[in-house]
Order: sequence, then C-alpha cells, then structure tokens
Amino acid sequence: MARKRGRGMAACWYGIARTATVDRAGAWAEIDDGGSAKIVTGVTEIGEGILTVLAQIVAHELGVKPADVVIGDNDTARSPEAAHAGASRQTYMIGNVVALACREARARLAGVMAEVWDVEVDLIRTGNGECWAENTNHRITMGEAVDTCKKRGVVPVGSASFGTDTTGLDPSDGAGRPWQAYVFGCQVAEVEVDTITGEVQVLAVWAAHDVGRAVNPKGVEGQIEGGIVQALGQGLMEDYKLRDGHTSTSGFAKYILPTSLDVPRVNSIIIEDPDPIGPLGVKGIGEPAMVPTIPAIMNAIYDAVGVRITSLPATPERVLGALREKQRLTSLQAAE
Amino acid sequence: MPDLQFQATVNGRKVARSAKPHQRLLDFLRDDLQLTGNKEGCGAGECGTCSVFVDGVLMKSCLMPVAKAQGAQIETIEALARTGELSVLQKAFYKAGASQCGYCIPGMVMAATAAIRANPFAGREEIKERLGGNICRCTGYQKIFDAVEMARDVQNGKLPASALSEIEAEQGDFIGRNVRRIDAPSKVSGALKYAGDMTMPHMLHVQVLRSPHAHARIVSIDTSAAEKLEGVEGVISSADVPGEDGFGVFVNDQPIMARGKVRYVGEAIAAVAAEDALTAMRAVEKIKVVYEQLPAIFDPDDAMHDGVPVLHDYAPDNVTKHIPIRVGDVEKGFAESDLVLEETYATQAIEHAYLEPEAGLAYVDPDGVVTVVSPSQNITHHRHMLARIIAKPIAKVRFIMSPVGGGFGGKEDMIYQGMLALLAMKTRRPVRLVFTREESIISTAKRHPSRTTLRMGLMRDGRIRALEMKMISDGGAYGLSTEGVMRKAAILAAGPYVIPNVKIDTIGVYTNNTPSGAFRSFGALQTEFATESMLDVAAERLGLDPFEIRRVNAMRDGATTHTKQKLGSVSLMRALDAAEKASAWEKGAPNSRGGNRNDLNRDDVRPPVSLGARFETADKQEAAE
Ligand code: FES
Ligand code: FES
Repeated sequence: MARKRGRGMAACWYGIARTATVDRAGAWAEIDDGGSAKIVTGVTEIGEGILTVLAQIVAHELGVKPADVVIGDNDTARSPEAAHAGASRQTYMIGNVVALACREARARLAGVMAEVWDVEVDLIRTGNGECWAENTNHRITMGEAVDTCKKRGVVPVGSASFGTDTTGLDPSDGAGRPWQAYVFGCQVAEVEVDTITGEVQVLAVWAAHDVGRAVNPKGVEGQIEGGIVQALGQGLMEDYKLRDGHTSTSGFAKYILPTSLDVPRVNSIIIEDPDPIGPLGVKGIGEPAMVPTIPAIMNAIYDAVGVRITSLPATPERVLGALREKQRLTSLQAAE
Repeated sequence: MPDLQFQATVNGRKVARSAKPHQRLLDFLRDDLQLTGNKEGCGAGECGTCSVFVDGVLMKSCLMPVAKAQGAQIETIEALARTGELSVLQKAFYKAGASQCGYCIPGMVMAATAAIRANPFAGREEIKERLGGNICRCTGYQKIFDAVEMARDVQNGKLPASALSEIEAEQGDFIGRNVRRIDAPSKVSGALKYAGDMTMPHMLHVQVLRSPHAHARIVSIDTSAAEKLEGVEGVISSADVPGEDGFGVFVNDQPIMARGKVRYVGEAIAAVAAEDALTAMRAVEKIKVVYEQLPAIFDPDDAMHDGVPVLHDYAPDNVTKHIPIRVGDVEKGFAESDLVLEETYATQAIEHAYLEPEAGLAYVDPDGVVTVVSPSQNITHHRHMLARIIAKPIAKVRFIMSPVGGGFGGKEDMIYQGMLALLAMKTRRPVRLVFTREESIISTAKRHPSRTTLRMGLMRDGRIRALEMKMISDGGAYGLSTEGVMRKAAILAAGPYVIPNVKIDTIGVYTNNTPSGAFRSFGALQTEFATESMLDVAAERLGLDPFEIRRVNAMRDGATTHTKQKLGSVSLMRALDAAEKASAWEKGAPNSRGGNRNDLNRDDVRPPVSLGARFETADKQEAAE
C-alpha cells in the first residue's frame, strides 16, 4: 500500500490581548433616533468578523436589532482609542468595552423611562427593539423611548474604557502576569501519506477550543478553519526562501499556498469557559486556532509512516528523504 | 502603438473608449470604468481575485490584454447584483459566513458562479476542483464550499429559498447566535472599497525605489533626473524627513526610507509621486544611487559571533531581544528524570500572503492635518510614530483604517505610510501607493524562522520533571515585532503543563534578511510546535496514550504558570476530552500504529484527492490538443 493513514494530536494554550503590558480600549455609544445604535470605537474589520460581533453585543446590551447598529469608522481623529487589531484581542478588549459603553447609555435611557412610568429603574427592560417595564402594561418601541428621552433633554449616550490588570516580565526569571485571560485547545489530525511521492494530505482536523463565550459560533468556526489552513500551509508547503538575502519566492507561482484541494474537513468543537473579569465572559480565538495544528499533523505523519519531521515544512521531498533514511536504518539493523 | 478603439458590452452596457492595446483588461475595468469590485491579488494569474466573465467564460483579467476582449460581453462581479438584489450564490455566501476579509470573495463568487453554471449538480469534491484556481487566505475554504453547495441546492429546489435568509432571534438575545455577517453584502457584491480601490480628485501615484543589496552604504542619491521628468510632482528620500526618523513596534530602528545604509533587499530608498503610475515608475528608474557594498550576515547563529558585521549600533551583539524564563533547577530536574529527550526543531519563514497587497492614500486636509488612509492594523501607534517622524503635533496627524483585506499581523508595521505622508506634504496633493504582489512579498515582514533545541526530562508515569528550551530566531534587518514575538514564544514555550523546573531562552537576532515581524500566533507557534512534537515522542517511549501524557501534566484550575502567575479556571482538560471524544480517538501509544487503527476514515473525514480523476475527459481532451 503506497498510501498510509495515521492520526496525531496536540494541545495548546494562548494568552488573549496584548502580552506583558497593560492593554486598553475605549468606546462611545449612543442610542440613536428610531431606536438604532451608534457605536464609535477604534476598530475596523480585518476579516475576523468583529463588526458583526460588536453588532450582536450592542443588540444584546441595548435591546436593539443587530441590523440597526451603526459602527463608526476607525479614525484617530474621530474615534476613541481601541489600540490595535491583533493579539486575538478584538472580541475581548473591544467587545467588552463596547458592552460597558452600551450599559452606560442604556442606564440613561432606563433612568428617564423609570421616571416617566414611575417605576423602579431595575424594572425597565429593553429587547429586540422594544422597551417595557416589567409587571406593567408599559411597552413602547426603542425609537419612542429615545424620543421620550430627548423631549426631556436627555441624549442616551455612554462611554467606557476597559483595561487589563497585567504586568511586564521580570528581566531575569520572566516572572509576571502577562495576560488576564488564557485559552486552551486541542486538535486531532488525520492524514494520508503517499509513500511513493511523499505527499501528505490532511483529511480531517477535530479542533476543540475554549473561547470563553462564543458571540457568533459560525464566526468562531471560521476563525478555527482559517487558522488551521494557514497552519497547514506552514506545516506542509509554504516556504519563503532566501539566498544571500534575495528571495526566490516573490510570487504565488513559487510561494505555494493551500488551495481548495488541500484543505481538511475541519470539525470544530467550541468550549465556553467564561472569562470572570470582563463583563461578557468572552475571550478570543484568532491565533490559538492555529497553534496545535502543525504538531498534530507531524505526529499524525509519524503515526502513518513512522518518520518524525522536525524541520518544517514537511514537503514531499522531506518526507521521502525521511522515509529513505528510515529504510536505510532498518536495513542496517537487519544486517547487524 | 496607436490607441485601440475599444468596444465591448460591460455588465450589459455598451462601452466605447480608447484604450492602450496592451493594457490589461483588469486595469481597464478598474481604472477606466471604475469597476473596482474585482481585485488584483497577484497580477500573475495565480490567485483568481481578478476573475471576470468574457463571453460567459471565466477569465483571469490580469492576464488578458484588453484588445483580446474587443467586442466581447464582459461581466464583472458588479453584474451579479445589478438589480440591487444579491444573486442566489451571493446570498448563500452571506448566509454561510463564507467571507472574512472579503478580498478574494468577488473572484471566488465569479468562480463559484462558473462552477454551478458548468454543472448545476456538482458535488463537493467537484466544487473544490473548480475553485482550485482561487486562493483564499482567511476562511480555510470550508464555508465557501458550504455556500456553493447551499446555492446549488436552492437552485435545484432541494432547499427552499428561505434557507438563505436570517433566522430571527427570540427576545433579542443575540449573543451566541449565528447572525449573518453585517459586512458580507458589501463583500460578496464587490461594493466595499479597499484602499487600492479608492481614488481622490487630483491624486498622484507613488512608486518606490528599493534596495537591490542586502547590506550597503549609500554613498549618494541623485534624484535630479527623476525630478525633471514631465509629470513628476515630488521625489523623496531620507533627507526629506523633518523629524526624528524611525519606526518599529518595540524599537524605532527602521527609517521611513534607508538612511545612510540599506540593510535588506527590498528596503525602500526613495519614492516618487507622479501624474500616473507609469511615469512614477520611469522616474524611479532615473534615480541614481551609489552604493558601497558591505559584508552581510544571513545566519542568526553567525550574527552573534564576535567580529561579524553589526546591523544596528545600539545592539553590538546583533541581539534584538533575549527573553529568559526560569523556574526551579533544570539540571537537578534532568538528574531526577527517568527519561531525558533531546531534539532540534526548525521552522521556516513564511509570508502572510493576505490577498490584499499593501495600499494607501495620504493627503493634507484644509486644516493642515496630514491624513493617511491605509489597511493598518495599528493606527493608534502609527499616529504617534508619524507625528514624531514628521515633527508635527499629534492632533495634526490623522490615520484612518481602511477595510483590511487580510492582515494576520503583517499590517502592523508602518512600512509605507511614512512615505505617503511625506509625499502628500511635499506635493500638497493626494497621493496613492499600491504595492504589487512582488513588492509586498520582498519588502514586508515574515514569520520568524526558528531553530529550537529542546530537552525534556520525564518520570516513568509521564510527568515532566524538567524542560529546557533555547530558540534562536532570525528577526531580519529591523526590529519590528521581534521583541514581542520572543516574549510570547517564551511565555508559552513549555505548554499548558505543570513543570517544576523550566529554563527557556528565546533570542531574536538581527541579520540582513527580510525582516520578521508579527504573524498570527506570534512565536507560540514555533515553540509549542517543539514541545507538542516532543510530547508525542515521550508518550511513545513511555508507552502512554498522547492524551494521557497531557492529562498527567495538564494545568488545572488554580495552577501556577511558568511566569509564576496563578490562574483561575483552566479549560485544558475540557479541550482534551472534547477533541478525544469528537474524533472517537482510539487509545494507544503513538508508535506508528496508523495501519492498525480502527478510528480512521469516519464520515467526518474528507476523501483523499487524486488529482484529475474527476475531470478525466477534460484532461484527455487537453492532452490531445
Ligand atoms: S489571478 Fe489575476 S490578480 Fe491574481
Ligand atoms: S476572505 Fe478570502 S482572502 Fe480574505
């Protein structure tokens, strides 16, 4: 049999948000005319789905619909600082700060409505575009609630800042508190190795990751699937080659990327171990998703054909070379 | 060559214009007709972002001279939702969550449209082959396949059209629901404008002169011939930087353009703004630079020896950053261990390959605010640095983050925004720079390549007694994120395991290679690869199942990390259990038992590919031709 199957696994851990430094983010929120929401924070979509995540958080916090949430552009002259788009920090830092800003705006609105309806403020509810008072017949649309606030001279706005309680590392032994939220994960890979060509196909990956709380499960899956395929690229094919500082891989003809034919079936399992510090319990997934993939694949190659690839990528040539070396050693042993 | 009187039908409308015969169809569509929905990802036929229909046939418009489309019916992504309503396939992309950064999506939608036109009953494996010419760097393709299958089934009546609409949430609880991505309609329709799609009135085009040498002293730069060229409005080099020149994520060691020295191939030296990109390119060729080549260093181990060239004066040993972590006494731990393993692991440099090459615009607004629009992942920090570099108060510098067509850490560096700002200031006109794919690959950061030596001491029951790791990593010519990458690599190196004796050193080193920088999973990928690979060896040697050896060592609630931080809840055991259960893992030591396993090839595993098998007839025809 030229094609051999095997399975391998690996685990991972990762820290969410900036490392060994204080992270922070700010946001402004306004419950706007017609019961829509206007959110301004220093964030732009880099593809991970943050705008949708924020719209869901805002909808949840304010009681409006995600489609009625408007998120302002990220602009250093027009929006509060939310620092950078990276470090798996967007849902954690910006999601949490937007939730806090929304709570302040909502409290303004609730305060007015409690006065108007003459009920305790904690009986005021908002949800799905409506505002009502528990145990009463008072129920109006969010648009009407905003209108009521404005007629009383109140614009329902809020702002918030969210920072982390973290420290740098001791320069001699590394002691410190680099993150306040950690995530853990584990992946299993199933591969098929062609012992004639050395080609490795990753047929499936089962990926279990803690994300704290999944705001949009499909978005989390998308991050896991994309992360795994990027890791697969590094594990099996991608190689930025340099010789005396000059690259021979300056285009996609030479720099090989995973295509639709290379990708495994990814089976994601989302674990929710809520973060106790932030208001939402969310953590992050962008980076951790790709950490266990490569060792899981390399361990699966060993399971399939008995060679350990310790130097990436596991190209067909490298796998064949390892197989030949293994054969040589076995025949040497047999000869002894 | 005389201009071509070009006539065609584009998205159902007659178009008659003069065009350059060798102009690419892509440029004609994007620049002349301002149909920017289809993107340029590579300009070489390799990525598919530029795919359009020419007389109903899917074509890569970056490879097609406009003359070849004379008289043709051309359809771009804008054609699909012309009535304002998304096509079934676009709706399916929306519903399935098939778009992330969105940059590949217009081309992907075109290719998928072609696929189900060609075979309305195509199965998943055939769909994969038919999309094989389109690269997506974000999604891992799975949700794209889901979308195409969904559209196929709706078209064939196997699914109701309502399968494509949003499920309404009850009682406004929107957290935990698969709300459709709010940015998807703009991405599947090609309406979203990335920086390279944006234009401004009176805008100039920028091109950059880059270093052909890995290490050289710049003796002189003569821009006079370039400046004289008609259509050139401004030429800049490091001499035009008014403030304190230098950017970086942790150390500001990189000048906007090479200052006195070049340190890697592809480093920016000068930039030109001209009426059009071609003129700017010609002017770049006229800039004369005299170099005196310097000895260069390409290997990070060599770089740390005495007497080798020094890249930056502040780091005479060429070490960018060394992060140590110490717990207990590793030598004692190894002495106490029943099994000590040692291995070297190596990882290579890789390219982010976001489908959107770098692009940006800059202008000086009526209030004198220098404004840069670009897909920067860190406008906050870029504003601080640029203000210092151009010697302006922070309030006079403004960064706007345009939609990012994939970042993965690669767009955290302020690698070109400074040149844009300087040219906007110098010419008092808006300027735009769009990188080619080649430029993007040679001049921007890579993932840190690494060489790691790892020693692990274990007890017979699988408990790790000691772990010692040293990772040497090539940071290339400038610091960028190297310091942070070394830090994260070190903190996470030993994995989520309780280990009484730990010694970790991660060392980032300067060389004359392309700089390394931030890349999704930031150093942890390199170190955890080593640790997780070795744990498999350990499990084999000790006759333990790989899940078991991890459980034996797993951090639990309240564990203390290797940086002596006390954790709260630790979800590792849950993750191990979940992955083991979902994959129906058959227990056993990892001793290459693949052939004897009974857990393989379940129905949540895709079939292996044998290339070409499904298109035998088509292949044969091609071979016969
Ligand atoms: S294939 Fe045309 S731009 Fe990549
Ligand atoms: S969504 Fe495909 S490249 Fe980003």
